[in-house]
Amino acid sequence: MNAALPSREARRAEALESFRVRGMPHRRFEHWKYSDLRAVLDAGQVAQSGTAAWQVEKLPEGVELFDLGKLDAPELVMRNLGAIGAKPTMKEASLAFADGGVALRVPRGRKIAEPVTLHISSTGNVRLLAVLEEESSLTLMESHTGDAGLLRNVGVEIALGTQARLSHVRFAASAPKSITIEHIGVAEARGAQYRAHFANFGSRLSRTELHILLQEEDAEAHLSGVNVLGDEGHADLTSHIEHVAGNTRSTQLFKKVAGGHSRAVYQGKITVREGANGSDSRQTAKALLLGGRAEADLKPELVIFADDVKCAHGAAVGDLDPESLFYLRSRGVPEAEARHMLIRAFLEDAVAEIENEELRASVWHAVEHALPHAVRVSP
Amino acid sequence: MSAAADTKEQVAALGEKYKYGFVTDIEMERAPKGLSEDTVKFISAKKGEPEWMLDWRLGAFRRWSEMTEPNWARVHYPKIDYQDAYYYAAPKAPEKKLSLDEVDPKLLETYAKLGIPLSEQKMLAGVAVDAVFDSVSVATTFKAKLNEAGVIFCPMSEAIRDYPDMVRKYLGTVVPVSDNFFATLNSAVFSDGTFVYVPKGVRCPMELSTYFRINASNTGQFERTLIIADEGSYVSYLEGCTAPMRDENQLHAAVVELVALEGAEIKYSTVQNWYPGDENGKGGIYNFVTKRGDCRGARSKISWTQVETGSAITWKYPSCILRGDDTVGEFYSIAIANHYQQADTGTKMIHLGKNTRSRIISKGISAGKAQNTYRGLVSVHPKAVNARNYTQCDSLLIGGKCGAHTVPYIESRNSSARIEHEATTSKIAEDQLFYCLQRGISQDEAVSLIVNGFCREVLQQLPMEFAVEAQKLVGISLEGSVG
Repeated sequence: MNAALPSREARRAEALESFRVRGMPHRRFEHWKYSDLRAVLDAGQVAQSGTAAWQVEKLPEGVELFDLGKLDAPELVMRNLGAIGAKPTMKEASLAFADGGVALRVPRGRKIAEPVTLHISSTGNVRLLAVLEEESSLTLMESHTGDAGLLRNVGVEIALGTQARLSHVRFAASAPKSITIEHIGVAEARGAQYRAHFANFGSRLSRTELHILLQEEDAEAHLSGVNVLGDEGHADLTSHIEHVAGNTRSTQLFKKVAGGHSRAVYQGKITVREGANGSDSRQTAKALLLGGRAEADLKPELVIFADDVKCAHGAAVGDLDPESLFYLRSRGVPEAEARHMLIRAFLEDAVAEIENEELRASVWHAVEHALPHAVRVSP
Repeated sequence: MSAAADTKEQVAALGEKYKYGFVTDIEMERAPKGLSEDTVKFISAKKGEPEWMLDWRLGAFRRWSEMTEPNWARVHYPKIDYQDAYYYAAPKAPEKKLSLDEVDPKLLETYAKLGIPLSEQKMLAGVAVDAVFDSVSVATTFKAKLNEAGVIFCPMSEAIRDYPDMVRKYLGTVVPVSDNFFATLNSAVFSDGTFVYVPKGVRCPMELSTYFRINASNTGQFERTLIIADEGSYVSYLEGCTAPMRDENQLHAAVVELVALEGAEIKYSTVQNWYPGDENGKGGIYNFVTKRGDCRGARSKISWTQVETGSAITWKYPSCILRGDDTVGEFYSIAIANHYQQADTGTKMIHLGKNTRSRIISKGISAGKAQNTYRGLVSVHPKAVNARNYTQCDSLLIGGKCGAHTVPYIESRNSSARIEHEATTSKIAEDQLFYCLQRGISQDEAVSLIVNGFCREVLQQLPMEFAVEAQKLVGISLEGSVG
């Protein structure tokens, strides 16, 4: 049907072999130290989980959509499949086992104002590919709901052409019975911009991993995210941003609220390659532990091979500031309300990173909904 | 712009600056080459050790034989052939010397070249030196004073002979025999080291130092140090490693264990300047060291300060286990890597007790083609109510061919704990250099000034005698004008 077909099958066979050889990630893999996937899932279950269903509501004009299951995407799109970013074992599994998925293409120069919303609610493996051509722009809302148990394994690839701009909001509702894995590979050309927000309300084991390549000058990546976890929730965000070219910029701002027995994980690695002078990178990760048995693990990592760079990271873990709490109470605010107020204030700047007003409001709505669960368990 | 170029040139010009790399020709006594149970038995017999010590060593050797060398650190080196090395080497000096005149004159010459003549060292007020060469004049000067206070300060081999109960009680309780590959190797073949015991309530009357012993004895490749500070005591211990290496073997795997009982305080300072190899990365010491302190009693405190300028490869994470309630751990570090040096160093702060506090200040400087990594862990366990940690790790890059890396792990399992971490990476700011130059300060001085300013917080923690040396070392390592 089209020229990419045989190579796609070859790539899938390669992915399957790679997954077989490397097997399930577990806590002895340094990168999976805080999310022991093998303890909750075996390789057979990954293979058996099949393909996850997806749904795009109301495609805005100008965006092209292809069903990866139908193999109807042009070569232009298909050549990116399985080719962007690192090839970690679970991403290879999603390529090997998913018989379907969605590819989006925004042609050159098209700026799409209306967000595209992608819903995934079933279990299984699925692939998402987004190709934004030169000077195009798009807002993509990726919404994960449903808690059918077992595994949802998503492999995402994003190719951003020169000056292309993608705003990506990933929303994951609480799914205490499910295991949700997602790997996002992003390749950016000159002046491209990837903005992403990750609002995750926890699963039995939830891992969102990013590998972003700032391949040409002036490419930018701005990541932000919030977790509000109650009881048994787990949320792991692991990012690796590579400043391949000089004068590239990246920022990261993650805020995590962990209550009950939950576990919030952030591992952020920045690599500045040799010669990538003028790179500017900032990372902030903060966690608020509310539950007496909650845990936060933060690992902001810098790997720098160029001297003319500005790199900084900050991380903090703590409880609500007793002085602020006292201040509010002394002004007649009841304790429960004061605590809510302070938690909202803690999350505020991370949520504010979402540019689209509607999406920002929906994330706030979910935060409000999740907060009582996180706060409920007293220390 | 020329400023940066000049700096690079200066850094490159540092090639032959390691003035301690000479070899003194003294007759040596060695164990047969290679590592086997026989080597371990040979070492133990040489030391005249009791049965239990030999068993301990053999147990470690058997464990080690089954272990694999770790490879997670960001350091690269050709595979070490552990069978192609000597595990015991001592100058042939069987009889005790009664005075300096009897010491091999060549050795005295070595001291002179190092700039620490014995006579001068003797007068260095307040520094007691554990001199293995038993030059009565030095050793006894301070021994009397230490004895009076009840402080035991002696070579490890002597402690095994004279204080076996104490050694058995504490040895391997902070760094277990099979803790890691290099520590296990050390447990099997350690040749000597230092033993310190400070009794209850005693404030050690002087700074203890191993400056001499490591310089002179040449047993220094596998030292084992054990320091015990009993309830309410205080001790400050200095470890200087400006040493000539007379061995073919370039591996140095030491273990240091500190035990602080209730209310005790141990301050451990290191200035490490082993031979770093030449400017092409040839030669140099592999410094694979395990250092750990255990704040075992409530209200105890352990403070590590290190200035790491030497060694081809440094693999070292002085850590604190904050076991007792209200204990304090500190880590202050300067790591300078130039040419092809590789440093992977940092700390671990394990908060177990209530109200435990820790502070980490790390300054890494990379130049030439060096790789410098800070790797650290702050771990708060569920029972560590109100634990506090503050970490700051800054990296400075000089030149575009070097690397500076930061790998901090932060793990909190107690909601009342508060942990803060900050890190920055930058190069020497052109505007700062310009400011200095514009006011008539030379390029050399300006770089030294800025780098010393960058390290200031750590340098301040060093005892006086070392602070001077450390500042000089910072200059030698980077500037090219000193030394």
